[in-house]
Amino acid sequence: MNIIFMAINLAFALLIAPVVDGFERKIRARLQNRQGPPILQTWWDLIKLFKRPTIEPQDSVKSLYKLAPYVTFTAVLAAYLIVPTLLPGSINFIGDFIVVVYLLGLATLSFVIGAFSSGNPYAQIGSNREVSLFMSEELLLAFIIGTIAVIGKSLSFEQLFPLPLRISSVLVLILLFVVIYVASARLPFDIAEAEPEIIEGPLIEYSGKHLGLLEYSIFLKRLLLYSLLLNFILPVRNPTRLIGYLIGIVILSLVYSTFEAYYGRFRIDQAVKLMKKLSAVALIVWIIALVGW
Amino acid sequence: MLLIPIGILVIAALIGLSKAKIVLKIVSTLSAIASVAMICIGILGLKTTLEFKYNLFNSPSLFTSLKWLVFRVDSLSAFFLLILGILGLCASVYGIKYMEKYFGKEDMRVYTFNYPIFLLTMYLVLICWDLLWFIIFWELMSLFSQFLVAFEQSKEKAVKAAFKYFCMTKAGAEFLVLAVVLIILKVTSFNANYSEITSILPAYLSAHPGMLYALTFALLIGLGVKAAMVPFHSWLPDAHPEAPSNVSALLSGIMIKLPVYMMFRFFLGFFPRDANIGLIIASFGVVTLFFGTMYALLQTDSKRLLAYHSVGQIGYIILALGAGIYLISSGYELLGRVALMASLYHTINHAAFKGLLFLTAGSVIYTTGSRDLNYLGGLAKYMPLTAVSALIGALSIAGMPLFNGFVSKWMIYMSTLPTPTLISLFGAFALFISAVTTASFIKYFTAIFTRPPAEEIKVEEVPSSMWVSQMILAVICIAFGVYPFIPLKMISSALSSIGITVDLGALIVYPSLVIPKVGSYSPIILFAFMLISTLIALLLIPSRGNAVPTWKTGRSEDLNVSMPADGYYKDFEEAFNEVYLLGDASKGFVQKVAEIGKIFGTRFEVLSYDLDSMLSLAMILIVILVAILGGVGL
Repeated sequence: MNIIFMAINLAFALLIAPVVDGFERKIRARLQNRQGPPILQTWWDLIKLFKRPTIEPQDSVKSLYKLAPYVTFTAVLAAYLIVPTLLPGSINFIGDFIVVVYLLGLATLSFVIGAFSSGNPYAQIGSNREVSLFMSEELLLAFIIGTIAVIGKSLSFEQLFPLPLRISSVLVLILLFVVIYVASARLPFDIAEAEPEIIEGPLIEYSGKHLGLLEYSIFLKRLLLYSLLLNFILPVRNPTRLIGYLIGIVILSLVYSTFEAYYGRFRIDQAVKLMKKLSAVALIVWIIALVGW
Repeated sequence: MLLIPIGILVIAALIGLSKAKIVLKIVSTLSAIASVAMICIGILGLKTTLEFKYNLFNSPSLFTSLKWLVFRVDSLSAFFLLILGILGLCASVYGIKYMEKYFGKEDMRVYTFNYPIFLLTMYLVLICWDLLWFIIFWELMSLFSQFLVAFEQSKEKAVKAAFKYFCMTKAGAEFLVLAVVLIILKVTSFNANYSEITSILPAYLSAHPGMLYALTFALLIGLGVKAAMVPFHSWLPDAHPEAPSNVSALLSGIMIKLPVYMMFRFFLGFFPRDANIGLIIASFGVVTLFFGTMYALLQTDSKRLLAYHSVGQIGYIILALGAGIYLISSGYELLGRVALMASLYHTINHAAFKGLLFLTAGSVIYTTGSRDLNYLGGLAKYMPLTAVSALIGALSIAGMPLFNGFVSKWMIYMSTLPTPTLISLFGAFALFISAVTTASFIKYFTAIFTRPPAEEIKVEEVPSSMWVSQMILAVICIAFGVYPFIPLKMISSALSSIGITVDLGALIVYPSLVIPKVGSYSPIILFAFMLISTLIALLLIPSRGNAVPTWKTGRSEDLNVSMPADGYYKDFEEAFNEVYLLGDASKGFVQKVAEIGKIFGTRFEVLSYDLDSMLSLAMILIVILVAILGGVGL
């Protein structure tokens, strides 16, 4: 039963992730007084990319450069085995919160190593920013996970979904909301890609199928993070979960893309410092959780 | 049985006194054979207890400890022997070719004599069953490893580093001696046999908490210096890089684990389990992992970077040990056991990946002669095998899923994070530092192997004996990551010998590792899924392409932009400046103390010309000494 659920969840994610992005593009366009592309546009873009041939830069370390997009993609995909999306009931013995965090870390790492292997200096600068941001984001995330673990006395999603209603859980979910925003590489935190400055940074040399895979992984990662946040709120054994989940996805996309539409880009040092300040807040939330509120 | 490695290594050391060129090969081969013997003893020792007793003297007036030479391998020492054997094998085989580059430059006898002796003393530390003998072998180990650090005698830096290393570990060892003297005088009446101590000491210390804390203090400093616990770590980043790379692998891989071994013996075997002691050890661990790794991020010398990470990873091991003691004594039986298992698991993992990384750094030195990450670059094209093994080492130390580092780190998080205590915060710091480790190894790997260098470095792959030893360790890294059940079985039997029984049946629910109600991880399923889905993706979206020049924003000439290794993560380092300011401040403080010490030293020297005051001072000191000894005797 669980395996069927998991397969449905995986298929749902693979199908819907680009649609969510298309929806967000539409909202952003509307907020900026533009017509905007159709919702399925992201899918058409991906399909087009998958049809295109790829190129390999001469200075690259070819094997790593070519393998990296596939590893990034499958690492994100593997996280869907653990985090349920449409239907409840993940297969808990595959992994827990820590495993999900590290699978996303693996995705970042292979993405960055692929970019470094391309031999392009812009890719190096971009990846360098990506890793700096990753580290500071992880500081905040570490405190958040610590707090959640203290609240739920566990790291297994079986025990954590949904979190009990306490002051600390509300605060920690707000912080999780922020860290998800940062991790999904949107303005003002798309410092690593930063099109106008460093020409898509780590993605600069990737083209065709590779580029398609990498973009697909970014969309999948965003949907995964949405689902993670929603799972902490939605009741598990309840038929309304499905509706709640879908509405939740729409609301999150709306909120996130609204933020995105109105912000300019941070400098990397500003972003790192912001993360550090938020980590101090997270530490206070941890203390609140420890006290038992 | 236990004497076989001793015999081989002594013969090797004697042969090593000769100057002939062939000696290097003979000594390395003999060391490798001895290491294989150690692996066999380790495997045997996990199942049964091996023992060897020899009566040295029959005089009734001597200490019982000194009359008998007792070697015994229980499963805890067997576990560490296994690590020593595997690393010793790889380092010895690696050394055959690697050390050749020093022919004609250095006196090879320094290596060929000291290397087998160094292996031998580590072996003896692990198998001796008596605290007095332990102290003797421990000091010999420091002594001979120090000669190896100073192998390149023409380099002033190496000699200085060796001297610093020797002074610090020697000072640390004095604390150990104090602890041992206290134990045998006050408690066990001149008997330092481990079995004797285990039966007497816990009850005594439970009744005398003051003594317990005094001993803990002495042991933490004594063992902490050798384990490079912050703030006693400063010798390690100097000493480990200066040794030949295969010796660095041994120093980082196993020698700094021997204090961990003794900590397990003392704090779990000999001492009553006390929550406060656990918390103190865990705090040392978290400070060590935090500062060690944050400083590693700054380094641009390949081996120095690795050495700082050794400090950081020892922090993980000590944190898990402390957390284990704390959790067990405050009622979290299961999580405490998981933490202790994590500590031993990380020990063997760190030995594998850090040994591997030091060997790859050595290979880079062997071919290019450089340790400078700013200069190196683009070597993956010329040294693919070394690059692959370095990548595996980097992924393992970064704790990526499917590699061995992840399993032990995961166990650390599982046991620390969900407990509503301070330990949870320690776990969060460990989680953050893991990301910093990842970043640091992205830098290490990309700066050496993938980033285009300022000028092309053309080299060849290292000889087969070198890459084979790297590959052995790389395979261990992957095997222990994908199939963690074998090491876990070894660890549970190692822990059983110090009185910690682990119910493995509850933890291993094939194909997963499950900590009931807390978490689960199934490396096999994840591995299968990622392998299959990568293959499907490769089939559906094949990756073939035409080579074109790297895009230079449309300019015809090169961009002349390249990121030097010290440019990595500058913004992050600046944002976390407080950490480094704190480190610098404490360094300044220590230097001040050293200066004051120097002033006192000069004063004392002046005083020492004056015979009268010298004699009266000596008399006062003797009176104090007598008073102390009298107090102890009572």
